[in-house]
Amino acid sequence: MILTQTKALFVDAYRQLNAKKLFWLTLGLNLLVVVLFAALGINDKGVTILHWQFDTAPFDTGNVSRELFYKLQFTEWGIPIWLSWATIILALISTAGIIPDLVSGGTIEPVLSKPIGRTRLFLTKFFTGLLFVTLQVTIFSIGCMLVIGIRAGAWEPKLLLAIPIVLAVFSYLFAFCAFVGLITRSTIAALLLTILFWFAIWIVNVGDAMMIAQREGSILKVEDRQIDVERQREFAQKRLEQLEEEGKPIPSSEGLDTSDGFEPDLEAVNPTLRMSKNRLKESEAAAETWTAWASRVVLLKTLLPKTQETVGLLERNLITQKEIATLMGMNDRQAEMMVNDETPAFADPRAAERATKVLQSRSIPWILGTSFIYEALLLLISCIIFVRRDF
Amino acid sequence: MSAVIDITGVEKTYKRRIKALRGVDLQVGEGEIFGLLGPNGAGKSTLVKIMMTVISPSKCSGTVLGQRIGDKEALAQIGYLPEHHRFPPYLTGRQVLEHFGAMSGIKRKERKAKASELLELVGMGNWHKDKLGSYSKGMRQRVGLAQALMNDPKLVVLDEPTDGVDPSGRRDIRNILTHLKDEGRTIFLNSHLLSELEMVCDRVAIMVHGLVRTQGTIDELTADQSGFVITAASPIPDSVRTELNAPSLPELVEGTSENTLSYKAENAEAVQPIIDTLRKHGVVIQSAGFKRPSLEDLFMQVVDTNNGSAPGAISGAKGSTKPSKGAHS
Repeated sequence: MILTQTKALFVDAYRQLNAKKLFWLTLGLNLLVVVLFAALGINDKGVTILHWQFDTAPFDTGNVSRELFYKLQFTEWGIPIWLSWATIILALISTAGIIPDLVSGGTIEPVLSKPIGRTRLFLTKFFTGLLFVTLQVTIFSIGCMLVIGIRAGAWEPKLLLAIPIVLAVFSYLFAFCAFVGLITRSTIAALLLTILFWFAIWIVNVGDAMMIAQREGSILKVEDRQIDVERQREFAQKRLEQLEEEGKPIPSSEGLDTSDGFEPDLEAVNPTLRMSKNRLKESEAAAETWTAWASRVVLLKTLLPKTQETVGLLERNLITQKEIATLMGMNDRQAEMMVNDETPAFADPRAAERATKVLQSRSIPWILGTSFIYEALLLLISCIIFVRRDF
Repeated sequence: MSAVIDITGVEKTYKRRIKALRGVDLQVGEGEIFGLLGPNGAGKSTLVKIMMTVISPSKCSGTVLGQRIGDKEALAQIGYLPEHHRFPPYLTGRQVLEHFGAMSGIKRKERKAKASELLELVGMGNWHKDKLGSYSKGMRQRVGLAQALMNDPKLVVLDEPTDGVDPSGRRDIRNILTHLKDEGRTIFLNSHLLSELEMVCDRVAIMVHGLVRTQGTIDELTADQSGFVITAASPIPDSVRTELNAPSLPELVEGTSENTLSYKAENAEAVQPIIDTLRKHGVVIQSAGFKRPSLEDLFMQVVDTNNGSAPGAISGAKGSTKPSKGAHS
């Protein structure tokens, strides 16, 4: 009986989606994006779109393989724009009504009178909502895999990871949408509040990236200034030795700043050492502040679903940082050359690189585990409400 | 006859202060058509929804189909048509039946056959491929009735089944109900249409202010007010009336008009001496016959008696609280 009921609910969900023009519209858009993807190409002169040639050297097959070119397009455009935003927004619009429709007067009564537990009914309905995204992303991913296979001769089954990954991201949001839909019984409220929630997650993500960039930048600043203090100390030491050799008197340290770490002789022969020490102290204080703030944001993020990091897992699997770095032509030496002491901590390209490494080093259990815990808790609360509610 | 529904002390309080049900006791026998009546806000729909697990009772004991309320095994044997139902408009009539059949756990092959049979039964065989969104209210009601029968239920609970249905459709539904009863199914009807209920119900219960004020067969409930009524062409003289009050004659009902006499008599033979007496005194008899109050009369009387009064059961409620053996069809 359980199988028959579950199948019936999924068939009904499919019919419901099928009846909505948006399902077919999204499917058409997905196929259009795949066709556009297939229309792109790269040769020894640059990028091509159908028969049009664009001179994009050095972005040509001399530097970028066809496989990397398509994978880049997929990771830079397909995932972050199409799969992470457009598909999910369209999916939310299509499925936001599933729970409000279920609990609306006149619809819920005949369903509840059937021999099916309320928890199972709610959860099955929730999973039917994921059907939309599964169908759309599967079609898109298979389409893109075929394009890369046919156009670049590289068959990349890892592209199919997009299906579970986008499904996971959508499920975080759909759990919230289902919860709001259950509480308010309104499709519009469920949709708008979910988009607002998503926006809030995005703000936290931006804040997280900024805090980490600030933290890493300030740590770099501390490291730079530690080196500077050492240089100034070495210089002072040499100057001191030189004075001793020449038999000249050591300047008086009277009137100098004698605060912590005061080195009378060294600072007397090299007053810049004190300035460097003070700057180091400022940087250490700033690094401490940014580290504390970054920790707070990470704590907040732990409680929220990790939409951005989850999508990032796909990028991690498809294309390596080394490939991207090679492509960008950026290396540590060049980055260092762009920095001077007045460069703000977050604007230091090395800080951005370190921040990216920190973000990408976050563990899969933390990203998926905490997100699924959030989702499970939200579904649990929704189930309790659904089971206890009088309709 | 065993009780299909046997519930006692059903209470429901909303938001800890609104008492919708105050201790409902109800028994419905196997194979009977039972009608639940009551004015708006009496708690009928609340009671039905409790039986169908749509809402949970504050207090309740008893069984439906021998199981506690909400038991999945029992629910699998109940067909339910809710009031103001809204089946998915994107489904065809056949798909609605097959979907709800599947939700009752019926296998695919069986569902298909049953859906065809029921669509014909409710007169929707020609429209089974059309989407529900294109149906009239009456057509949706017919499909709704058919979906309630998909699981071959032992108990059919119908909440306002003739709502929005035209007179010929109502007759069709009455015929279907009679057909279901003949098949041995128990039917629980909740309706405002007293005349409809009167035509098909074996037993009825009247609810007012969250309590069942009376329940039994219509004959039982109206027995006190049923009798033989004789109407004269002119006022009956007092002298004749005095003579007709003799202890040997049937009891005269108080409050009849100048031209009318009402007697508590179950058959015409009992009133023959009265007719003889009237004729002996030259009274011209215009009409004579057995009169029973309608269900509407009974309903209004129960409602009027209990309206405005502090909630509480009528002491010595009429009729049996147990299923009747002599249910009329």
